[in-house]
Amino acid sequence: MLQPISGKELEYIADSMSNEDLLMKQCACAATSISDAGLSQLLSNMVKTHQQNYTTLMNSLNQHQQLAPTAPQN
Amino acid sequence: MNQQNGMQLPKLPDADWAYTVLSDLKRVVREYATAATESTCPDVRSMFTDLMNSSLKMQGDLYNAMQSANMYDTSSPVLRQEIQKQIGTYTQTQQQTQQFIQQRMSGMNSGQAQPFMGQNQQQPQSPMYN
Repeated sequence: MLQPISGKELEYIADSMSNEDLLMKQCACAATSISDAGLSQLLSNMVKTHQQNYTTLMNSLNQHQQLAPTAPQN
Repeated sequence: MNQQNGMQLPKLPDADWAYTVLSDLKRVVREYATAATESTCPDVRSMFTDLMNSSLKMQGDLYNAMQSANMYDTSSPVLRQEIQKQIGTYTQTQQQTQQFIQQRMSGMNSGQAQPFMGQNQQQPQSPMYN
Protein backbone atom coordinates (compact mmCIF):
# COMPACT_ATOMS: atom_id res chain seq x y z
CA MET A 1 0.00 0.00 0.00
CA LEU A 2 1.43 3.35 -1.02
CA GLN A 3 1.29 6.22 1.46
CA PRO A 4 1.46 9.93 0.67
CA ILE A 5 5.03 11.27 0.96
CA SER A 6 6.15 14.07 3.26
CA GLY A 7 7.80 17.31 2.17
CA LYS A 8 11.11 15.97 3.50
CA GLU A 9 10.87 12.85 1.34
CA LEU A 10 10.06 14.99 -1.70
CA GLU A 11 13.21 17.05 -1.05
CA TYR A 12 15.36 13.91 -0.81
CA ILE A 13 13.90 12.53 -4.04
CA ALA A 14 14.47 15.84 -5.87
CA ASP A 15 18.06 16.13 -4.54
CA SER A 16 18.71 12.54 -5.61
CA MET A 17 17.47 13.34 -9.11
CA SER A 18 19.94 16.25 -9.32
CA ASN A 19 22.72 13.91 -8.19
CA GLU A 20 21.82 11.22 -10.74
CA ASP A 21 21.52 13.85 -13.49
CA LEU A 22 24.98 15.22 -12.73
CA LEU A 23 26.50 11.74 -12.48
CA MET A 24 25.14 10.55 -15.83
CA LYS A 25 26.60 13.64 -17.57
CA GLN A 26 29.87 13.28 -15.67
CA CYS A 27 30.16 9.59 -16.60
CA ALA A 28 29.37 10.38 -20.26
CA CYS A 29 32.15 13.00 -20.37
CA ALA A 30 34.58 10.75 -18.51
CA ALA A 31 33.78 7.74 -20.75
CA THR A 32 34.52 9.73 -23.91
CA SER A 33 37.64 11.48 -22.53
CA ILE A 34 39.45 8.57 -20.90
CA SER A 35 41.93 6.61 -23.04
CA ASP A 36 41.94 3.43 -20.89
CA ALA A 37 39.49 1.14 -22.76
CA GLY A 38 38.36 -0.85 -19.72
CA LEU A 39 37.60 2.21 -17.63
CA SER A 40 35.88 3.90 -20.54
CA GLN A 41 33.58 0.90 -21.02
CA LEU A 42 32.80 0.76 -17.30
CA LEU A 43 31.92 4.45 -17.27
CA SER A 44 29.64 4.17 -20.27
CA ASN A 45 27.79 1.30 -18.56
CA MET A 46 27.45 3.55 -15.53
CA VAL A 47 25.69 6.17 -17.68
CA LYS A 48 22.90 3.62 -18.26
CA THR A 49 22.63 2.75 -14.57
CA HIS A 50 22.31 6.42 -13.63
CA GLN A 51 19.63 6.85 -16.28
CA GLN A 52 17.74 3.89 -14.77
CA ASN A 53 18.12 5.35 -11.27
CA TYR A 54 16.76 8.66 -12.51
CA THR A 55 13.75 6.86 -14.03
CA THR A 56 13.14 5.00 -10.75
CA LEU A 57 13.03 8.33 -8.88
CA MET A 58 10.78 9.92 -11.52
CA ASN A 59 8.38 6.92 -11.37
CA SER A 60 8.18 7.27 -7.62
CA LEU A 61 7.24 10.95 -7.98
CA ASN A 62 4.57 10.08 -10.53
CA GLN A 63 3.06 7.39 -8.29
CA HIS A 64 3.02 9.63 -5.25
CA GLN A 65 1.55 12.53 -7.16
CA GLN A 66 -1.70 10.59 -7.45
CA LEU A 67 -1.90 10.11 -3.69
CA ALA A 68 -0.95 13.61 -2.61
CA PRO A 69 -3.67 15.82 -1.14
CA THR A 70 -4.59 18.92 -3.16
CA ALA A 71 -5.22 21.13 -0.12
CA PRO A 72 -3.21 21.43 3.13
CA GLN A 73 -4.28 18.94 5.83
CA ASN A 74 -5.30 20.18 9.36
CA MET B 1 42.90 31.76 -28.57
CA ASN B 2 44.43 28.34 -28.34
CA GLN B 3 42.94 27.40 -31.68
CA GLN B 4 44.46 30.47 -33.27
CA ASN B 5 48.02 29.63 -32.42
CA GLY B 6 47.51 25.91 -32.95
CA MET B 7 48.06 24.98 -29.30
CA GLN B 8 46.06 22.10 -27.90
CA LEU B 9 44.16 22.54 -24.66
CA PRO B 10 45.56 20.27 -21.95
CA LYS B 11 43.47 17.18 -21.26
CA LEU B 12 42.35 16.16 -17.79
CA PRO B 13 44.35 13.02 -16.90
CA ASP B 14 42.42 9.69 -16.85
CA ALA B 15 43.02 9.27 -13.14
CA ASP B 16 41.49 12.69 -12.36
CA TRP B 17 38.42 11.93 -14.46
CA ALA B 18 37.91 8.62 -12.72
CA TYR B 19 38.51 10.15 -9.30
CA THR B 20 35.88 12.90 -9.82
CA VAL B 21 33.27 10.23 -10.58
CA LEU B 22 34.47 8.03 -7.71
CA SER B 23 34.20 10.81 -5.14
CA ASP B 24 30.72 11.78 -6.32
CA LEU B 25 29.62 8.15 -6.07
CA LYS B 26 30.94 8.04 -2.49
CA ARG B 27 28.92 11.15 -1.65
CA VAL B 28 25.76 9.80 -3.31
CA VAL B 29 25.99 6.50 -1.36
CA ARG B 30 25.99 8.52 1.89
CA GLU B 31 23.11 10.68 0.71
CA TYR B 32 20.97 7.65 -0.16
CA ALA B 33 21.70 6.15 3.26
CA THR B 34 20.59 9.40 4.93
CA ALA B 35 17.48 9.59 2.72
CA ALA B 36 16.54 5.99 3.62
CA THR B 37 16.85 6.64 7.36
CA GLU B 38 14.77 9.84 7.04
CA SER B 39 11.95 8.25 5.04
CA THR B 40 8.63 7.32 6.58
CA CYS B 41 6.96 5.67 3.56
CA PRO B 42 8.06 2.03 3.33
CA ASP B 43 8.21 2.13 -0.47
CA VAL B 44 10.31 5.31 -0.48
CA ARG B 45 12.67 3.82 2.11
CA SER B 46 13.09 0.65 0.07
CA MET B 47 13.66 2.68 -3.12
CA PHE B 48 16.45 4.68 -1.42
CA THR B 49 17.95 1.45 -0.04
CA ASP B 50 18.01 -0.09 -3.54
CA LEU B 51 19.52 3.08 -5.03
CA MET B 52 22.16 3.10 -2.28
CA ASN B 53 23.12 -0.49 -3.13
CA SER B 54 23.24 0.32 -6.84
CA SER B 55 25.55 3.31 -6.19
CA LEU B 56 27.70 1.32 -3.77
CA LYS B 57 28.19 -1.35 -6.42
CA MET B 58 29.22 1.23 -9.04
CA GLN B 59 31.65 2.83 -6.57
CA GLY B 60 33.19 -0.59 -5.85
CA ASP B 61 33.47 -1.49 -9.54
CA LEU B 62 35.09 1.86 -10.35
CA TYR B 63 37.49 1.57 -7.43
CA ASN B 64 38.57 -1.92 -8.57
CA ALA B 65 39.06 -0.71 -12.15
CA MET B 66 41.13 2.25 -10.93
CA GLN B 67 43.24 0.00 -8.77
CA SER B 68 43.89 -2.38 -11.72
CA ALA B 69 44.93 0.64 -13.81
CA ASN B 70 47.33 1.69 -11.02
CA MET B 71 45.42 4.90 -10.40
CA TYR B 72 44.89 4.32 -6.75
CA ASP B 73 47.47 4.14 -3.99
CA THR B 74 46.38 1.67 -1.39
CA SER B 75 47.42 2.73 2.08
CA SER B 76 50.23 0.73 3.65
CA PRO B 77 49.27 -2.16 5.98
CA VAL B 78 48.90 -1.33 9.64
CA LEU B 79 51.41 -2.84 12.09
CA ARG B 80 50.40 -5.94 14.07
CA GLN B 81 50.95 -4.17 17.41
CA GLU B 82 48.46 -1.45 16.41
CA ILE B 83 45.78 -4.10 15.93
CA GLN B 84 46.86 -5.78 19.19
CA LYS B 85 46.37 -2.47 21.01
CA GLN B 86 42.80 -2.11 19.76
CA ILE B 87 42.02 -5.74 20.62
CA GLY B 88 43.27 -5.06 24.15
CA THR B 89 41.17 -1.91 24.55
CA TYR B 90 38.00 -3.43 23.16
CA THR B 91 38.30 -6.73 25.04
CA GLN B 92 38.26 -4.65 28.22
CA THR B 93 35.30 -2.59 26.99
CA GLN B 94 33.42 -5.77 26.11
CA GLN B 95 33.96 -7.24 29.59
CA GLN B 96 32.88 -4.05 31.36
CA THR B 97 29.79 -3.73 29.20
CA GLN B 98 28.83 -7.39 29.74
CA GLN B 99 29.06 -6.80 33.47
CA PHE B 100 27.01 -3.61 33.22
CA ILE B 101 24.29 -5.35 31.21
CA GLN B 102 24.16 -8.32 33.60
CA GLN B 103 23.82 -6.05 36.64
CA ARG B 104 21.28 -3.85 34.92
CA MET B 105 19.11 -6.71 33.66
CA SER B 106 19.28 -8.88 36.81
CA GLY B 107 17.22 -6.28 38.71
CA MET B 108 14.46 -6.42 36.13
CA ASN B 109 12.71 -9.62 37.26
CA SER B 110 13.35 -9.39 41.00
CA GLY B 111 11.15 -6.30 41.33
CA GLN B 112 14.06 -4.14 42.35
CA ALA B 113 13.32 -0.42 41.96
CA GLN B 114 15.10 1.16 39.07
CA PRO B 115 17.10 4.12 40.36
CA PHE B 116 16.05 6.42 37.54
CA MET B 117 12.34 5.59 37.47
CA GLY B 118 10.70 6.46 40.79
CA GLN B 119 7.07 5.41 41.08
CA ASN B 120 5.86 8.93 41.76
CA GLN B 121 7.88 10.40 39.01
CA GLN B 122 5.77 11.83 36.25
CA GLN B 123 6.23 10.47 32.80
CA PRO B 124 7.68 13.17 30.61
CA GLN B 125 5.59 14.17 27.66
CA SER B 126 6.58 12.29 24.54
CA PRO B 127 8.44 14.52 22.18
CA MET B 128 7.37 14.79 18.56
CA TYR B 129 9.91 13.88 15.95
CA ASN B 130 9.72 14.69 12.33
